[in-house]
Amino acid sequence: MGFSFYQLFAVALGYLLLLFFVAWITDRGLLPARLVRHPAIYVLSLGVYCSAWAIYGAVGYAHLYGYNYMAYFLGISGAFLLAPILLAPILRLTTTYQLSSLADLFAFRFRSRSAGALTTIIMIACMLPLLSLQIKAVAESIEILSGGNEPINVAGWFCMLITLFAILFGARHATAREKHEGLVVAIAVESLIKVVAFAAVALIGLFGVFDGPDGLNTWLNDHPEMLARLYFPLQDGSWHSLVMAFFVSAVVMPHMFHMAFTENLNPRALITASWGVPLLFLVMAISVPLVLWASLKVQVTTPADYFSLGLTQHIGGHASLLAYIAGLAGASGMLIVATLALSSMALNHLVLPLRPVQHTEDLYRWLLWARRILIASMLLLAYLFYVWSGHRHSLTELGVLSFVATLQFVPGLIGTLFWPGANRKGLFTGLMTGFIVWLFVLVLPMLMPSWQIPLAQELLGVRFIEPAEQWQTIAMFSVAANGFLFAIVSMITSTTPAERNAAEACAVDSLRRPYRWELEANSVEDFIGSLANPLGASTAEREVELALRDLNVSRNETRPYALRRLRDQLETNLSGLLGPSVSHQLVDDYLPYKPHDESETSEDIQFIESRLELYRNRLSGLAAELDSLRRFHRQTLLELPMGVISLGSDGEIIGWNLAMEQLTHISGRRMIGSRLSNLPQPWRQLLMEFALGDVVRMPQQTLEINHQTQWLSLHKSRVHGPTPGERDGGQVIVVEDVTDVRSLESRLAHNERLASIGRLAAGVAHEIGNPVTAIACLTQNLDLSDHDDDVRESSQQILEQTRRISRIVESLVTFSHSGGLPAQSHLPVRMHDVIEEAKALIRLDPDRRHLPIVNECPDTLTANGDPQRLLQVFVNLLSNAADANPDRQPVTIRGSLQEQEVTLEVEDHGQGIPVELRETLFEPFVTSKAPGRGTGLGLALVYSIIEDHGGSIRVESPVADGQGTRFTITLPAYVEAVAEQS
Amino acid sequence: MYTDRLLIIFILGTYLLSPAIIQWWSDGGQSWFRPFMVWLALIGLSYWIARSRDFDGL
Repeated sequence: MGFSFYQLFAVALGYLLLLFFVAWITDRGLLPARLVRHPAIYVLSLGVYCSAWAIYGAVGYAHLYGYNYMAYFLGISGAFLLAPILLAPILRLTTTYQLSSLADLFAFRFRSRSAGALTTIIMIACMLPLLSLQIKAVAESIEILSGGNEPINVAGWFCMLITLFAILFGARHATAREKHEGLVVAIAVESLIKVVAFAAVALIGLFGVFDGPDGLNTWLNDHPEMLARLYFPLQDGSWHSLVMAFFVSAVVMPHMFHMAFTENLNPRALITASWGVPLLFLVMAISVPLVLWASLKVQVTTPADYFSLGLTQHIGGHASLLAYIAGLAGASGMLIVATLALSSMALNHLVLPLRPVQHTEDLYRWLLWARRILIASMLLLAYLFYVWSGHRHSLTELGVLSFVATLQFVPGLIGTLFWPGANRKGLFTGLMTGFIVWLFVLVLPMLMPSWQIPLAQELLGVRFIEPAEQWQTIAMFSVAANGFLFAIVSMITSTTPAERNAAEACAVDSLRRPYRWELEANSVEDFIGSLANPLGASTAEREVELALRDLNVSRNETRPYALRRLRDQLETNLSGLLGPSVSHQLVDDYLPYKPHDESETSEDIQFIESRLELYRNRLSGLAAELDSLRRFHRQTLLELPMGVISLGSDGEIIGWNLAMEQLTHISGRRMIGSRLSNLPQPWRQLLMEFALGDVVRMPQQTLEINHQTQWLSLHKSRVHGPTPGERDGGQVIVVEDVTDVRSLESRLAHNERLASIGRLAAGVAHEIGNPVTAIACLTQNLDLSDHDDDVRESSQQILEQTRRISRIVESLVTFSHSGGLPAQSHLPVRMHDVIEEAKALIRLDPDRRHLPIVNECPDTLTANGDPQRLLQVFVNLLSNAADANPDRQPVTIRGSLQEQEVTLEVEDHGQGIPVELRETLFEPFVTSKAPGRGTGLGLALVYSIIEDHGGSIRVESPVADGQGTRFTITLPAYVEAVAEQS
Repeated sequence: MYTDRLLIIFILGTYLLSPAIIQWWSDGGQSWFRPFMVWLALIGLSYWIARSRDFDGL
């Protein structure tokens, strides 16, 4: 059954509209995300590899070169079988650094605009035959089915249709960094249609021509030459180069790179692709001999490339539409994806470097239109190539031209992934050599038969009469020359530090070791201001916001570490927008580092650590052991019971351990990556003075934090850099909190002082006691024996004074005997009762009788101690409160139980303790009372008694509004078990 | 670095064994589907590896 041109064109239009509809509903979110991100969609989308060459050309190739046709399917299947180890590192790289093509990868790895531009130019040149092959396949299939339209005109119409759809599919967003989910699903549907249609053609051949497998076997038995023709070409030695060419095409072909890496929606789908893609291609591959043999049996009249069309035409009905749709699907899918990928490469590496974006224009709109124009240009170039030469050559010849050309990227790719020593000079030399050999030895002789280079003919031993026949020799020679020169030139020329840095990022199983250079910009606002110049204010603002969101960093961030990460993220994001070379140049120009000596730079330890943590599960063997050791040392440092700050040579804080966090109440997350100057006071002054000073030890430094004094000892040491180039690796500061030690020392000294005063007091009391007793006895005698009133009054006064002396002496004796309370005298003491008793005693004194005392101590609060001595404590405290409280404000006593401690607070609202007495309040003979009113032993005695009980006492004054005093006493709580034990 | 070694061993092994494989293939006679069976077996092996191993890097 014949079809008219218009019918076939309508089928093409309908098919493309169906694909566009699928893409549209996907982009609109009408398909569930689970389905869109399902690994099967990814696997099917990789079927874009099977272009019209797989549907038409593979049959023709099998007819001419037998089983060698399988290399086309087996080579790429091999690459995907090794996907987890071969393709996963590339996927990681492209995702991390937003690299959308092989040119991006080379430009990033070799830190060279020229590498990207050269790769783009060569890629466009080598893809033109393959693109024109697709145009030719569709045009000629329409010609065969419609029986006589001029293919060049048909090709023109088809190119216009594809241009429209390529723009609709892929150039609706300005940036290649946005995933085109619609495109991925549409290409997956395209693959499904293609595979099903082609398999259906094969099944039609098997059952329609041979009546099933038995019929095929019988026919093959009768025609052994058919099998011999299939097997024989395997011996010609071209198998290796064929498999290699198609093995690498998974990465080097722009449409495969685009679908496998740039449009990957789910990285783990790559694992499914490791068996799914080979399975998909197996179905395609096994269909080829079936179509071939069925066509040969029925002796179809079409050229071998179009046997699938001829066979279905022979079968009759609408069967030929199946082959046509399969070919159309293969051609259109490949054309759309390849032109999108090539336009992206051309934009990033040819247009943007030559015509920088003006900040006055809308960057996104400009990029969108540039991409659309480039898509149209690529398809126009492919059409012109087809008109100029493509229509005269078979699909096999055109395919071979492209496949051999893409082999030229293999040495560069191997260098990128596996050889950090490779450099851009090597890449240029190798790539140019391989390209020139391909162009002059394969392309020109094939496309222009009059082309001759006699000397080269003799040198290479290649006859140009049939270069297509010699293509494997040319392929091997060009790649060998390319690889050899790439290696030699890379070895004898120097590699720039930027290239070395990028090489570390690209190397498989390697960790990028970024350097810690200081940026000119000091804040996020500086970033926006700097980028507004090349990008325009609104674009700069949007890109910086996007990068901040990606990093989950606040806009107020000023830490140098975070700003460096922001710069990296901006470069990565702009790489997805403008390509890596333009993005790198732009970021270098507008967000520069401060001038630095590259030989003295320090590595960004913090970033390396965070990456190591991320990749931990991927380490094995020695690397895993080393990582365990690293973690052990890190943890040791982190949990050291002394504060440790590690500073880089530029003063940036690299380490801030847990003890530092506890000491300062500032988290390491906040401090790491910043500088000491970002610390709050008083830490800033102390640590900066110490870090910048010459002394290596500062013992017993005091710091007032929240009205409390902290005693710190600081030590520091210079650290040598981890790499030989680093002369100064910074310093490590150890901060030791000696507040407890200092307090203990102070208490020991205090106790020692009390003890010596006690000994002195005991001696004085003894020496004074005896004469005073004698004076008292004599005065009493005088009083009894004399009846003179004056004498009696005087003797009474003497007696009064001796009693006073006795009281003082008694106090001294009590104080001197206060230490060393034996433990067995401790009893359960109900503090409420003790306080009530103290209240009663205080009220015996007429001057203190009216003092309001509020006892809020709970009845149940029981301490472990001596009730009499504790009574003395409260009598003293309440007496002092009464003396300091002329307005008779109430004195409140509160009590509480906290864990194993009884806490008691005695709070008055009196005049407070004078500043000059606060430090020495618990020292003996310290009093604020008027001479003769107090001995100054009361609080010293209280302190001594509380210490004897194993408790503590502290004082706060003023409490509020500049007046009042609060004594807080802690005593061990009474615990029955402890009591029984004792 | 272990990945590199595995890859090198695989590629070298395939290259060294390829003459024997091609010879075996050429001797297929009527069993023209031999390479497809091996291919299917490789897919089965790859499926089993993908199911049984956890690829942390992805």
